[in-house]
Amino acid sequence: MSDAVARNVLGGSAMSNFILKACDLHKTYLSGERRLEVLHGVSLSVSDGESVSIRGESGSGKSTLLHLLAGLDVPDSGTVHWEGVPDTGARQRARFLGMVFQSFYLIPELDAVGNVLMAARVAGKVGAIERQRAQDLLARVGLSERGHHLPSQLSGGERQRVAVARALMNAPRLILADEPTGNLDEKTGDSIIDLLLGLCSEQRIALVLVTHNAVHAARTARMLFMRDGVLQNTNL
Amino acid sequence: MPWYLYLALKQLFPSGKWLSFFTAISILGVALGVATLVVTNSVMGGFGYEIRRMIIDTQGDVQIRARSLIEDSGPLLSSVAKVPGVVGVTPFAEGVGMLEYGRKPAFPLIQGVDVNRVNDVIPLSRFIRVGSLDELDDDTVILSSQLAYSLGVHIGGKVTISSPLLIERLKNDEVFLPRELVVVGIFEIGHQQLDSNTVLVTLRRMQDLYGLGEAIHGVNVKIADGLDADAMAARINAVLPEASDMRAHSWINANSEFLFVLQMEKNLVSILLLFIILVASFSIMSSLLTTVVRKTREIGLLGALGGRSREIAACFCVQGFLIGLIGTGTGLALGFGFLHLRNDILLLFTRLTGSQEALERFYQFSNVPAHMESADLVMIVVGTIVISTLAGIFPAWRASRLNPVEALRNE
Ligand SMILES: Nc1ncnc2c1ncn2[C@@H]1O[C@H](COP(=O)(O)OP(=O)(O)O)[C@@H](O)[C@H]1O
Ligand SMILES: [Mg+2]
Repeated sequence: MSDAVARNVLGGSAMSNFILKACDLHKTYLSGERRLEVLHGVSLSVSDGESVSIRGESGSGKSTLLHLLAGLDVPDSGTVHWEGVPDTGARQRARFLGMVFQSFYLIPELDAVGNVLMAARVAGKVGAIERQRAQDLLARVGLSERGHHLPSQLSGGERQRVAVARALMNAPRLILADEPTGNLDEKTGDSIIDLLLGLCSEQRIALVLVTHNAVHAARTARMLFMRDGVLQNTNL
Repeated sequence: MPWYLYLALKQLFPSGKWLSFFTAISILGVALGVATLVVTNSVMGGFGYEIRRMIIDTQGDVQIRARSLIEDSGPLLSSVAKVPGVVGVTPFAEGVGMLEYGRKPAFPLIQGVDVNRVNDVIPLSRFIRVGSLDELDDDTVILSSQLAYSLGVHIGGKVTISSPLLIERLKNDEVFLPRELVVVGIFEIGHQQLDSNTVLVTLRRMQDLYGLGEAIHGVNVKIADGLDADAMAARINAVLPEASDMRAHSWINANSEFLFVLQMEKNLVSILLLFIILVASFSIMSSLLTTVVRKTREIGLLGALGGRSREIAACFCVQGFLIGLIGTGTGLALGFGFLHLRNDILLLFTRLTGSQEALERFYQFSNVPAHMESADLVMIVVGTIVISTLAGIFPAWRASRLNPVEALRNE
């Protein structure tokens, strides 16, 4: 059965266009005596500019999967390719990937512009062009007047907007968002999803969105479900 | 600017705030340590410097002595004077004698100086408090301040001086009458021992008292500024007659044990004070460790943004370095500021405690000396910055060992 699921999940046959390709990922955690097999052969391919949502119960392994896709953690077995290359190192990550988290993770000592620019700094380049882009992105997420405010002076929704701008800063090919609306009220969450989906389609960036919200999930091109350590296609 | 440097600066000096509280405490710790080191080192160095200067001022830079008497001093003086770098030579004879004034005896060290030349080597006139060196002749004497005070003798007073020669002559049934000399001056050098019990007479008077004839005990030599006293002593030794047992010793060599004790004392105090810096470095370490724990999730985020673990480590190392650098700068400013005002501060202190007179009596000066060797300053600065940077290494290592995934899960 998992083969069939895998084939379905892989989608079409245009393998070369895949911006992200994960094959047969296994991940097991040892907590005390117990072996917890969180991922049990997950395969996922995302093509350029495609948006994919992943839902699933809490603890089903969605964050674990995103961390493997981001190259932040290594699978017990299986492979992750970015743009057809198996390199998921730090230098690649800065350029290729943007991430948005449930708890924003802004650097409290830096103002909004500083936080957005931090992505460019880590990638190794901050010049006039980058500064302008940071300003433009802040304007795009509706915070043009708040650039010099510290995270502590921003509301939750505004912080997440800054985080979205930061994820877009280096013009990545892929954005991984892990429950970006989990800490926000419904209305604010909706607007964040509007922003994310809008910006990604505008700039042809692929998006993998982990969410609990069925409405948000339905707005992506493809909906997947994490259950029993594998991804299932909900369209089935 | 690499991102880790930028972030290190921002964490120490966040936007909108002048200084973070943790940073301020850490910097203050280092600054206090450095200031204490600077002040102590400099004041102790100042006392040492004064003592050295006094040794040179009373003995010359180089002293030539012999085990026996130096009989024919004329050629010796002229040959030493010709050595390049020598700017002054003066012969001397010295010994203990008995001095009596109004039936009060004292047994001072008698220095016989060549009044025509002594000022070329030893700035004696500078130490004369009452009277004048010009009036010193074969029938006069200059007393040290404490001696004059304890005998109760004033300028114009008559003292008698006799020497061990008196006993020597008595054995041969000869009579040697004590010499009667007029006090024409009182000097004060600023050294307890010299000021308590020394008298100055002319070389000829000393030769007479000790029955030396034309012989002398030694020669004091002054060398040009900036020359190395030990090297000059070696050069002078080279021109001394082969057959004689005369040797030239630099003041450093002649006082090596005393100087060693001085140096030792200063080094020991510096090492003890270095512990202040060590304690400060622990406060840097603990504050940076707290920061690492507080910022666990941000460290995870930096990984997600594409930061490498050694860059994350560098971010914390740089913070230790910067705290050390700024702390040292502040400490130097504090320390030298304090030194600049040291006499005012001392004055205030003595006024408040009413101890001004006692201080002047015991220490013989009302001003605190200060002198810092540049090598010591470099040691303090480099040592502090190195220790502070090392204090950043452990937190940095902890930060770089954080797994970004674990760090991000740290809710
Ligand atoms: N480091 C770990 N050690 C042990 N168990 C872990 C660790 N990380 C995650 N898990 C477990 O793996 C499972 C999946 O976690 P996660 O991927 O965060 O789920 P989700 O994001 O879908 O809620 C959970 O049961 C969690 O407890
Ligand atoms: Mg999760």
